[in-house]
Amino acid sequence: MTSESFTQLVDAHYAPLYRFALSLARNGSDAGDLVQQTFFIWATKGHGIRELSKAKSWLFTTLYREFLRGRRRDARSTSLEELPPGGNEPLAHDVDRVSRIDSAAVMSALQSVEEPFRAPLTLFYIEDMSYQEIADALDVPIGTVMSRLSRGKAQLRAAFLRAERPVAKVLPFPGEGGERAS
Amino acid sequence: MTIEEARFILCAYRPNGSDAGLPAFGDALRMAAADPAVGEWFARSTAFDAAVAGRLRQIEPPAGLREAILAGARASGQQRSLGRGWAWAAGMAAAAALAFVLFSMKTPARPEQGAASFAAFAISDMANAKHGGRGEPAGALIAALEANGARMPGPGQIDFDRLRETGCRTVNFAGRDVLEVCFSRDGALFHLYVARRESPPGDSADNGASFISEAAGAAAAWSDSRFDYAVASKAGVEAIRRLL
Repeated sequence: MTSESFTQLVDAHYAPLYRFALSLARNGSDAGDLVQQTFFIWATKGHGIRELSKAKSWLFTTLYREFLRGRRRDARSTSLEELPPGGNEPLAHDVDRVSRIDSAAVMSALQSVEEPFRAPLTLFYIEDMSYQEIADALDVPIGTVMSRLSRGKAQLRAAFLRAERPVAKVLPFPGEGGERAS
Repeated sequence: MTIEEARFILCAYRPNGSDAGLPAFGDALRMAAADPAVGEWFARSTAFDAAVAGRLRQIEPPAGLREAILAGARASGQQRSLGRGWAWAAGMAAAAALAFVLFSMKTPARPEQGAASFAAFAISDMANAKHGGRGEPAGALIAALEANGARMPGPGQIDFDRLRETGCRTVNFAGRDVLEVCFSRDGALFHLYVARRESPPGDSADNGASFISEAAGAAAAWSDSRFDYAVASKAGVEAIRRLL
């Protein structure tokens, strides 16, 4: 692959890869490292891929594997069987909630979704990937993708709801110069 | 197909409609068209998905990431010609190190890029910031920063060596010592980073501030004749702009 082709590949994919990595790693520094590592692996190994149409899927798959490899080093993984089932009832308020908050808050809500659901959900939202493409990228069966999307969306809606709950008002303590609470 | 099965399948339906022709969604879409309750649920679900996708796509990668990727790949290409084994492993380490430095360092040819990298570093480091440095002259600097309406310090207010000796946190950015001072203003917490300026020939100081905003926070970076500065906060760009 020529230097020019590689630059085009980076320009086409580094931003969505960063968003995917940010949802997985939950901080910008680690997300940047994951994206760099992914392109580094491409530069050292992935250049053997002839069909550029497959490059996108290869990049997302590799980034996800790198994330899982790093996570295995320093954290125990969550068993899917331990996760609570998700409700499946989007309300009209859900759309209003998303419209009211900025992209950083939406990413924060996404980052709170359990990791097995977060990866397919992020590819669905950020890359507009079909369930088949997600299954290919994450190397899981189609039925699993559908199940994780369903439960992931339920967790995401719950995260928006939690974020919107009003914080309890703090009243001044009597005798400290503030007004007495009635 | 039950209503629950239809909903389950439609959760994987993309909000831009590109799945409309796929057989896997056929029965579920027909049920959404025939059953008003399912149809209403489907409309809400699609609107929610479109809103979330739109917001997430607004997130931009940090400044300097693209250049770091390209530099790392160039370095790895050079190392590959040395062969595999130890040389290849060394190449990986060198490329990763080079990529990190280029991601972080001030680029002489484009000062605004260096400022953006310093700002990105400030956001990244903010998570590790410790609150301390209350001895003099750090205390005096913090008091000045916390005064209402005060502007960020000029070169005359920074005694770099004394600040480093009296308890300010010192971190490393692209091989340079950087002082970090935390202060509060209007209820928000800010982190000021100061590094001695390494002025390239012909590079003018006092450039305007560069701002960046990420999920983890926002930052601005600027320079004067002696120092490079960055200030980061989770309070957002507008709160930082009010300090400058």
